[in-house]
Amino acid sequence: MSHDNPLQHPEVQVASGRGYLLTFLVSTLLMGVALFLVTSHSVAPFGLMLALSLCAGLAVIVQIYFLMHMDLSEAQIWNTFALVLTIPLFILAIGLTAWMFQELYQRTMVMLPGMPGMLH
Amino acid sequence: MSSSTSKAIDPSSVELWDHSHHHHDVLSTRTFGFWLYMLSDAMIFALLFAAWGVLSYSHSFAGGPIPADFVKPGYAFLQTLALFGSVLAYGFTMVALKNGNKAGVISGLWGALILGAAFLALDINDVVHLLDAGITPQRSGGLSAFFILTQTHALHILFGLLWMLVMLVQVSRFGFTTEVVGRMLTLRLFWHFQAVIWVFVFVFVYLRGMLI
Amino acid sequence: MLVDLQGPWSPLLGRLALSQIPYENHILAPLFVVVVILGLAIIAAISYFGKWGYLWREWLTTVDHKKIGIMYILIGLVMLFRGFMDALMIRTQQAMAVGPDAPGYLGALHGYLAPYHFGQIYSAHGVIMILLAATPLLVGIMNVIVPLQIGARDMAYPYLNALGLWVTAAAAALVMVSLFVGDFSHNGWFGIAPIFELSYSPGVGVDYWMWVMQLTALGSTLGSINILATVVKMRAPGMTWLRLPIFTWAAVASNIIALTSFPALTVALALIGFDRYLGTHFFTAGLGGNLMLYTNLFWIWGHPEVYFVILPAFGMISEIIPTFSEKPLFGYVTMVLATFGIAGASWAVWLHHFFTMGAGPAVNSFFSVATMLVGIPTGVKVFNWAFTMYRGRLRFETAMLWAVGAVFLLLLGGLTGMMLAIPAINYMVHNSVFVIAHFHQMLLVIVYAIFGAVTYWWPKVFGFKLNEAWGKAVFWLFTAGSVLVFVPMFTLGFMGMTRRLDYVFNTQWQPLLDIQVLGIAVYSLSVLAFVGMLYVSIRDHAKNQVSVDAWGTARSLEWMTPSPVPFYNFAVVPHINARDEWAWRKEHGFTDLRPDHYEDIHMPKNTGIPLILGALMFLLGFGLTWRIWWLCALSLALIIALVIIRSFDSDTGYTIPADEVERMERGHHERARAVDLPAAGVLGGAIAYGQADPAVKGQGAALGGGMTSPEGSRV
Repeated sequence: MSHDNPLQHPEVQVASGRGYLLTFLVSTLLMGVALFLVTSHSVAPFGLMLALSLCAGLAVIVQIYFLMHMDLSEAQIWNTFALVLTIPLFILAIGLTAWMFQELYQRTMVMLPGMPGMLH
Repeated sequence: MSSSTSKAIDPSSVELWDHSHHHHDVLSTRTFGFWLYMLSDAMIFALLFAAWGVLSYSHSFAGGPIPADFVKPGYAFLQTLALFGSVLAYGFTMVALKNGNKAGVISGLWGALILGAAFLALDINDVVHLLDAGITPQRSGGLSAFFILTQTHALHILFGLLWMLVMLVQVSRFGFTTEVVGRMLTLRLFWHFQAVIWVFVFVFVYLRGMLI
Repeated sequence: MLVDLQGPWSPLLGRLALSQIPYENHILAPLFVVVVILGLAIIAAISYFGKWGYLWREWLTTVDHKKIGIMYILIGLVMLFRGFMDALMIRTQQAMAVGPDAPGYLGALHGYLAPYHFGQIYSAHGVIMILLAATPLLVGIMNVIVPLQIGARDMAYPYLNALGLWVTAAAAALVMVSLFVGDFSHNGWFGIAPIFELSYSPGVGVDYWMWVMQLTALGSTLGSINILATVVKMRAPGMTWLRLPIFTWAAVASNIIALTSFPALTVALALIGFDRYLGTHFFTAGLGGNLMLYTNLFWIWGHPEVYFVILPAFGMISEIIPTFSEKPLFGYVTMVLATFGIAGASWAVWLHHFFTMGAGPAVNSFFSVATMLVGIPTGVKVFNWAFTMYRGRLRFETAMLWAVGAVFLLLLGGLTGMMLAIPAINYMVHNSVFVIAHFHQMLLVIVYAIFGAVTYWWPKVFGFKLNEAWGKAVFWLFTAGSVLVFVPMFTLGFMGMTRRLDYVFNTQWQPLLDIQVLGIAVYSLSVLAFVGMLYVSIRDHAKNQVSVDAWGTARSLEWMTPSPVPFYNFAVVPHINARDEWAWRKEHGFTDLRPDHYEDIHMPKNTGIPLILGALMFLLGFGLTWRIWWLCALSLALIIALVIIRSFDSDTGYTIPADEVERMERGHHERARAVDLPAAGVLGGAIAYGQADPAVKGQGAALGGGMTSPEGSRV
């Protein structure tokens, strides 16, 4: 695993202009779609949140694969492993917090039926 | 390890000391550690998003301005273009690095730097206008969460720009030494990660803010 | 942008004024005099013996993971003593201030501590014991042992390691300064929302607390990155994952927790900072803030933190018990799985710290069940230890006593934890001293494991054993103290005594509180016995020299290095053939620790930059606490500038030539041989040294004597 020339290192060699360009185009497009969906008011709130989350999720997956080069190759496997181990913790931290406070607000705040809330 | 189960082992068949001249891979040790730091940084963002989730109910704005009143999604999309463009420029920097093209690396870094600065200028302009209009983080808990989350991201951008300036000097002074290449790789992780965070900020703060 | 402060502020000194020095306080003023005299005496002694150069070259600028670990442990011990003094004051105050007729002294209505002062003491006690005693002690031991156990020459990032140490030292210094300049928070160690808001706590106490915690969070994050990268990237060839020593596994799990959970503390405290400095409304009671959000964010860190400190303790127990049972660890794989089971579960249980928030039955049930699940892997561990001891050749030396004691405490603490996991019970005893007694049992598991680990690994680091008789005295006194303090505390909790009382209204509790005072007196004796043990052991160190394998029955890789370990750890990196490599080599007779030839070793150079960065971090924290803006700007600018300047320095390592390595190694082997000869017959004593030169017993064996590096310092 010795690399006298640092430029020959697999993490340098993994750079790909086509991949970066593709990521730019796809994620800009997805953000544009999300923007259009919100400004056009064409979808009901629940479906809209679903569609927005889908756009964000797709864009992030593309970025993580093509920009961050997270894959199962020997050079990247530990980075990928660390990421996979951490993602559930992000979901737990945000998800459980959102859940417990929604329950709390239902019990403690005056929430009129038509009142717009954030998380439902 | 009771001795009854042990079998005699031929000493000549056993390798006890490592004389294989094995060098550990400095670059990937470096990027791995930095990636661990990025994950811990991502957790900071995750918890700021959790705080934003808790503080973005309608009652969180205490009767004051809500994001739907002041968020300009088109403007935020301009920021998106600037940041994604900067990330793309840094990507081309890495392609130039792969080819050992010093001039390419330097011009790529300048491109990423200028587009990143454009993102930051757009952000500062936005914040100044909001503050002038009395939409301040001191107004309500919801606005506190909005400002702190978006500006924490902006602070990361500022830090990245400073880092790029340092790298411009180091690339032209030292060329592609192991240290410099290592820093270019960690800066790549840092900078590209800001694009990932921005996707969430754009969608779940700016766009979703339109729905509150 | 900044909030308007009540009270005076000047551009030069911020909120700092002479009136902030509590010179009229009857406890702090004499203490300050003592501290000044002690400090001057230390400085005078170092100057008299001409040790400044040695201190600077060998310790302050070192990047050697073992020395950094020792300094972590020193910080931990000093802070453990400070936290113990706080506990002593809490216990005596509560026993003195019972009932309306209790007399008052030193300006207090009852007892001798005014409520405001008492509040600072219990807050400081918690912060210090968890973040500045337990954490540095554990991080220190991990620092020393993990690289040795995996066959590495140093950490993956030696420079970062030193930085983590000095940031932690800055936090410790900041909490000590709060004793004599201004005051400390009185909001409990975890911060009670919204009392920490500026309008309710206008002083600097909360700011001190906040920045101390922030600095420790930064130090722990840096440390966790380092240990994880070290284990992933620096293992010796042949050291596959399932050959990893169990303590290293525990360190991995523990540092995954630290890496991912400390950001929650950073966020929670930063948001308090925005509330207090900018006037935002994250945790305010009105204007859309949510004070439970703070509690939530804090415990997202706080609960994983509990397991961050307890998993290394489990790892230490798992190393000590096999050595003194003369058997391999029972159920190695299940032990690893249990460690990760606990680490994973730690991320879904934090609401059990605030069941009474009222999130409703669904939420409370989820967190209750998740909490109880933690009992399963913990039970697996207890049974594994029990089965390791079953039919083993048990030797109850001091380290083993601590380990077995820890297992008993774990049962007591774990079972009361299961009770508290049931929301219905939790509502009854919430914020009672029953909870306090429960988590002190768990923290005592850690203290026992640390004392055991220090006894166990001391000979590896210093080359001689600690005195057994004194060590056993410390153990039994400490255990008696624990029983006398915490059995009455459990009882009082059931009787309804709440935590943090500066005045106890129920006179019927007096006898139980008195027993607790007796317990803390016995604890004090154990502290004295500990000092006695250190004194006697260091005095007699020449008689208690040890060789490579100090206990004779140790199993893992660190016992293949000379004691004390040379600065380069392994002259030639060993090739790993088995899970317990050293036990395997002893079993098959490969005990000759001299490879056929030596090679050049590449080592990192010393640097003073981490020390300077730590000092600047301290100034930054101090400036932020007192709102001295020029000091904040200056120290922050210097920190950034130093980091950049350091990045321009590419000359960070040096090479030791092979013949120099061979010369140093020969010295180590001769010393080991001299020590080993009388101990023939013990398994570890059967090391072949061939025909070496005459013995050099006792030479170069002074404290840390074998660890001196030839490399001078360099800023």
